[in-house]
Amino acid sequence: MKICAILRLVPDLVEEIEVEENEIIPFRYMPNERDEHAVEEAIILKEKTGAEVEVIGIADSENEADLDEGLGMAAAKGADKLYKVVLDRPTYKRCEIAKALADFLSDKNYDLILTGIQAIDSYAGNLGGILARYMDLPYIGGVVEVNVSNGNTIVKKELGGGLLAEYKLPLPAVVSVVSAERPLKFVPFTKLRQAMKKANIEEVELELPEIEGVEVLKYEVPPEPEITLIEGDVEEVADKLIEALKELSIL
Amino acid sequence: MDVEEMLETYFERINEIPNSDKFIQCIQCGTCGGSCPYGMGTLFTPRRMILAVRAGIVDEVLQSGAQWLCTSCFTCSLRCPSQIPITDAVIPALRELSLLEGNPPEELAAALMNITRYGNSFRESPRKRDRWIKEVDFEVPLISKKKKAEYLFITECFGAYHRRCKEITKAFAKLMDLLGTDYAILGNEERCIGDLVRLCGEFGLFEDLAEKNIRVFEKYEFSKIVTHDAHAYNALLREYPRFGFKKEVVHHTQFLYNNLEKLKEMFGKLDYTVTYHDSCYVGRRNGIYEEPRAVIKAIPGVKFVEMKRIKENALCCGGGGGGVWLDSFIKDHIKERPAESRVKEAASVGADVLVTACTLDVPMFEDALKVTGLEGQLEVKDISEIILEAIENS
Ligand code: SF4
Ligand code: SF4
Repeated sequence: MKICAILRLVPDLVEEIEVEENEIIPFRYMPNERDEHAVEEAIILKEKTGAEVEVIGIADSENEADLDEGLGMAAAKGADKLYKVVLDRPTYKRCEIAKALADFLSDKNYDLILTGIQAIDSYAGNLGGILARYMDLPYIGGVVEVNVSNGNTIVKKELGGGLLAEYKLPLPAVVSVVSAERPLKFVPFTKLRQAMKKANIEEVELELPEIEGVEVLKYEVPPEPEITLIEGDVEEVADKLIEALKELSIL
Repeated sequence: MDVEEMLETYFERINEIPNSDKFIQCIQCGTCGGSCPYGMGTLFTPRRMILAVRAGIVDEVLQSGAQWLCTSCFTCSLRCPSQIPITDAVIPALRELSLLEGNPPEELAAALMNITRYGNSFRESPRKRDRWIKEVDFEVPLISKKKKAEYLFITECFGAYHRRCKEITKAFAKLMDLLGTDYAILGNEERCIGDLVRLCGEFGLFEDLAEKNIRVFEKYEFSKIVTHDAHAYNALLREYPRFGFKKEVVHHTQFLYNNLEKLKEMFGKLDYTVTYHDSCYVGRRNGIYEEPRAVIKAIPGVKFVEMKRIKENALCCGGGGGGVWLDSFIKDHIKERPAESRVKEAASVGADVLVTACTLDVPMFEDALKVTGLEGQLEVKDISEIILEAIENS
């Protein structure tokens, strides 16, 4: 069995982000946390079934160096093959990335394609579903556990309110992961550096198709939330809080 | 890793640490476990860890989590009749195995990952490390501008980013300013010194931090390092020389003691009963006992009282050796955390103020005050804070 996990980059929010009317300029990028969980789940599946795991990192010419740490991490955890897919231009449109990726993946014969369910730059979160549509594969999101048996994948999906449901999908399929079955494995510094040095990374350039659809009109920083400090003893604070909540029509 | 591999990796690491040849001399006396603040809460005291390694069941130690129930307080190492480097070698090397297995406690894993990525455990931008200097009413010189200074002041991560510990940094900088000290800071060029990283068994990351820090130190001209961070002091003094760093390192308690005559001229009166907590890496590990006491006792009006467990027998705050990132893990294993027992002890001798000399102590003890209900009765201050207060009271 052959599995792939997609690893995207998102702006690192620890650093300041410059917002201009027609673009957002992060100081640097980091791996999307949900995608790290998708990679982890792929590694768990490798441990369970002996599947071959390939990790496909996606970047563009502006941030490709930031991908190395995430790919090195995947290698240190046991990924068998790594791709660094560099898009020929930056884009916020997931449709364009999904289409390019669908073409790239079409001859790779993966039984299972794992992605993270969401990303902090919200555009990226849609990737799984759109990719499945372009590849004409079944799709399920919100997944917290993946198993395979007899040509199917059996996944646990979060329904909210603490409820979990089990679904069966025929393989091949695209699955979007909320979190892996276990916390992300820790990789010590030396092991990570060794993996980054030794990693067998195939670099691929992908041309993005132009797809019409949602256009960005402008970017702007959301207004700073208004913060009111309520001071006084417990009774006073409670009274003022109730008043404030009433004013906001919450109570 | 199978057990064979674990043992091989373990001894490979142990052999790199000074004095670890003493490992074989463990006489199984049990002094270590009897001295350990977590001795009652762990399946594997240092004595039993050594026994387990000898018996080839190191995997059982790792499964128990005992390697994380250590706050690197150094009591066992100091008391061990065979002088086995338990705190610097036996335990960190076990922790390294746990890191290599990929499953350390989550809070600690996040802190180590943050240090790898950002050079601090707080997940803060390295470009905001010097923000505290904008919060003071005097100028804090940057070495990149000044180029040359007698003292390079290392704030370390807690002193630079932690809401409470930053106040200690500001107080000590203010004292240097008042004393007219020729000092400067690295500002955003500073990164984690890494003593806790080393004690957590992340040896690779520690080496990387040491090498990078030394490269920055070499850019500038200064004759000594001064720091209020007890672990930074320890690492710079004892570990960095292995990587080629050879300058004098001064703890802020020593600095204040050396400037005591000048300080005395500035002191006003304080009406407190004060006790002093010997932080592990100021006292037990590095033998600084008298200097802080002399400085506190020199403040007019202060009534100085000792707690029962003092100097080499002082109880740890629980923050060292990564303890500060293991709070929830430790809470699951013991009933009363050492910091809680310690603030109760300070209150029992009638102290109004518990003075410490390690940045980690202050948040650890202030948290313990809340848990024990002693908030309002006892205050926790760093030695530089009480001195500044005495000066401002004049
Ligand atoms: S105190 Fe030293 S000699 Fe005694 S049991 Fe502990 S490690 Fe062994
Ligand atoms: S260093 Fe302190 S906490 Fe760690 S094992 Fe020794 S006595 Fe216990």
